[in-house]
Formats: sequence, C-alpha cells, structure tokens
Amino acid sequence: MKLKSIMTFSLVLFVYALASAQEDLLGQLDTVKLKEKTIETATFKALQIGNMQSTKLASKGETYILIAHRFGDLTKGLDNFFGLDNAYTKIGAIYGVTNWLSLGASRQTYHKIYELTAKYKFANQETNGFPVTIVGYNTWDINTELSEDDYPQLKASDRYNYSTQLPISRKFSNSFSLEITPIYVHKNLYDLIPGTEKENQFLIGAGGRYKLTKRLSFNLEYAARINAPENTIYHNPLTLGLDIETGGHVFQLVFSNSQSLNDVAVFTNTTGKWNGGGIYFGFNMYRVF
Amino acid sequence: MKKNLVLAICLLTAHVAMSQKFITRAGEIKFEASMPAFEEVAAKNTTASCILEESTGDFVALVLVKAFKFKVPLMEEHFNENYIESTLFPKSTFKGKIINFDAAKIASTKMAYDIEGELTIHGITRKIKVKAYIAKYSGKITITSNFSIRPVDYEIKIPNIVKSKVAEDVKITYNFILDKK
Repeated sequence: MKLKSIMTFSLVLFVYALASAQEDLLGQLDTVKLKEKTIETATFKALQIGNMQSTKLASKGETYILIAHRFGDLTKGLDNFFGLDNAYTKIGAIYGVTNWLSLGASRQTYHKIYELTAKYKFANQETNGFPVTIVGYNTWDINTELSEDDYPQLKASDRYNYSTQLPISRKFSNSFSLEITPIYVHKNLYDLIPGTEKENQFLIGAGGRYKLTKRLSFNLEYAARINAPENTIYHNPLTLGLDIETGGHVFQLVFSNSQSLNDVAVFTNTTGKWNGGGIYFGFNMYRVF
Repeated sequence: MKKNLVLAICLLTAHVAMSQKFITRAGEIKFEASMPAFEEVAAKNTTASCILEESTGDFVALVLVKAFKFKVPLMEEHFNENYIESTLFPKSTFKGKIINFDAAKIASTKMAYDIEGELTIHGITRKIKVKAYIAKYSGKITITSNFSIRPVDYEIKIPNIVKSKVAEDVKITYNFILDKK
C-alpha cells in the first residue's frame, strides 16, 4: 500500500515536471535570492519631517541646497498681511561625505545664527532583518547677534548652543513611516530672562508621514519637553506639513507654532500656540545636486 | 510492486539525467531611457540569474529589481519607489523558449536566434519575441541581446513633469554567460 502511494507520487511528480518545465526552472532560480536582506529606502522623502530631522541622510557625494522660509504669525490677519511681513529665512547646504555621514552648515535670520550639523547613521532598517533605522544628529549653533556692547562680559562660548538627537524610525508600510527622537539641548547662555530657560533640557519627539499619492505625503511631528523650566514662556512645538516631490526637488509646506528654523530654538524657544495665537506658515525647499 | 517502484524512480531520474542545464547568477542587464540634453537615465544589474535547458531550449531569467544600480542615488530611490514599485513587485521574470534551439549546432561564433516567451515587469506579463545571439565557447554558453520595451505597456506611469526627460522606449541589453550546472 505504502509502495503504491510512493509510486503514484513519483508518477505525478514526473508528469508535473514535464508539464511545467519552464515554471520549474524559474522556481529553481527563485529559491535562493529572496531571502537576502535589503536596506529599506525612502522612509522619509526629505531630510526633515517638518522642523525635526528625519532619518534620511544625503548619499555619498550628494549636495543638498536648503532654502527655508517661515513667514510671520498667520493669525494676525491683515495687520501683517497673514505673516508676509516678517519672514525668517534659512539658507544652507548639506553634503554627503559618505553614505553614513552628512555634514551641513546654514545661516538663519533668528539671532543671526549659524548652525553646523552632523548626521550619522548607526543602523539601517532591513527587510527580513533589523527592524529600525537609527541615526545620530548634532547641531552646534553660533549666535552672532549677541553683542559685546550689550553684554560686556560676553565670552565666545556664550554664543554656543547644542542639540544632540537620536532619531529612530521605522517604515511600517509603503505609505506609513514613524519616528521617535530623544533630544538633549544644552545652552551655554540661558538666564537672560531668569527662570524661563534651563541649561539642559530633554525632549521626546515623535513624527510620522503618510503618503497620500506617490509624490505627495502628509507629515506630522511633535516634541514634548520633559523638564521644561517652571516659569516657561515657551510651548512644545507641533508641526504639520506636506511633502511635494518633483524629480530632484523636495518641497515641504509647513505649518508650525515655531517660527525659528534652528533645532535648539524649535525645541526650547517655540513661542506660538496652536490654541490661541502664533501659527507660522512656511516652506523648506531642497534641491539635490 | 517493487519493480514498478524502481521503474518510476528510473523514469524520474532519467528525466533529470537527460536534462542538461546551463546556469548563471551573475548575468548583466542594463537599461537606458535617456533623452538627449537631459540627465542620463540608466541602470545596471549584475546579479540577474537565468537557466537554459539545453535539451529543450527552455530559457528562464529572474532579476531582483532593487539590484538595479543608478549613477544618481536619488534616481535609484525614485525608480524603486515611484516607477517600478519594487516593494510591491520585487522581481522581474522571463520564461520562454529559444526557437529552433539545437545544442549540437551552437558554436564559438555567434548565431542569431529568436527567443519567445512571457516577460513580467511591474506585475504585468506580456508576450515578447526578441532576437538573441548565442555562442558556446570553452564549455560556456553566452547569450546577448538588446530590445526595447515601453513602460506604458507595463503600467509604469511617467508623470507629465518628467515626460520630456524619460524616453518612451526603454532600451534593454543583457549579457549572460552560463556555466554547466
């Protein structure tokens, strides 16, 4: 009985092998290759989600030119023509030294700050492998607005502020990606208005994107200050935006309660409030060379 | 009973023994869709695999779409994400037959053959027939060919803003050097 079933089985196999020789050949090619780990790409379209950094880095040899604007307070209406009057501008460049290290420099209106940045990748999310992308990000702000006429005791280091961030992201599906970012902000000069600022502040940031179409995505991000100063006059930054991608450009439309464009100020000096005044419209434009 | 079993096994093994497969896992496929005066749109894949069954002329090929490498990394990302959609359709395949293939006749000089079969790209399968040049040299079979396909036939949409920069016909060339399995 057993023998008979084995025989039938072999015969079926034989017939099958004849009938679908090409399918079978294809099957032989298929088995090995798909188990390979591959790096997940395009978790976020741009280097930023809105104000916060995404886990995307420039590739080796790529240069990104960044031009960003935040217009004045949108809620003031005709008084400042819906914010057109008092725009902040940031101009900068980011260069991919290698695939895992990008260096950037920029200059922006708020406090005439020069910002130097380094972004480096610790791990890539892989299909059939490691679950998340982990990136490190450091910014070094140099405030060139502070003047020795106003502060005779001013030291060079008083102009410096730092942020250290650890964006961790996961692309859950083709359209949905999420990021969590622990943030540490350090200020050398922080008590100009006593009690409103701190030397060291910690935040937890979270952001995500949802692709509406192939070249358009909706982004949202928020950062919560864990040890905000007791008499704080600032608010947690909440930003939403749209990414529009056109070939070598990424264009991001942003609505945020932060008008400033450097990370330290976005995280700890956000003046606007979503409920009751201070919403700023603007855009980030990246051009890749 | 036992005899029958032996017979069945013989049949099976005979089928396997009869077949003479040639295989590669390092085949080269290039495509180009550049337009004059615009940025080059071209990519190369060097990990294509294919099998030729010498006894029948059956010919199959498989390529992982993500392994196509572009000069510009951003172009590669857009190719994968927006055009070929490699997460949804990770591989492209061909299965078909080399028409009038006779293993005894292939020689060290190239001869032209027609290959006919089904090409699957972006989840769409279409019948194609292309000319290929086949030669056998020191035990290896080389197959080279070039042909064109239209992205529109495989439902790969090219948005209006880049239409002037991407050719309507994509030129594909491949070069396989197959070893005896």
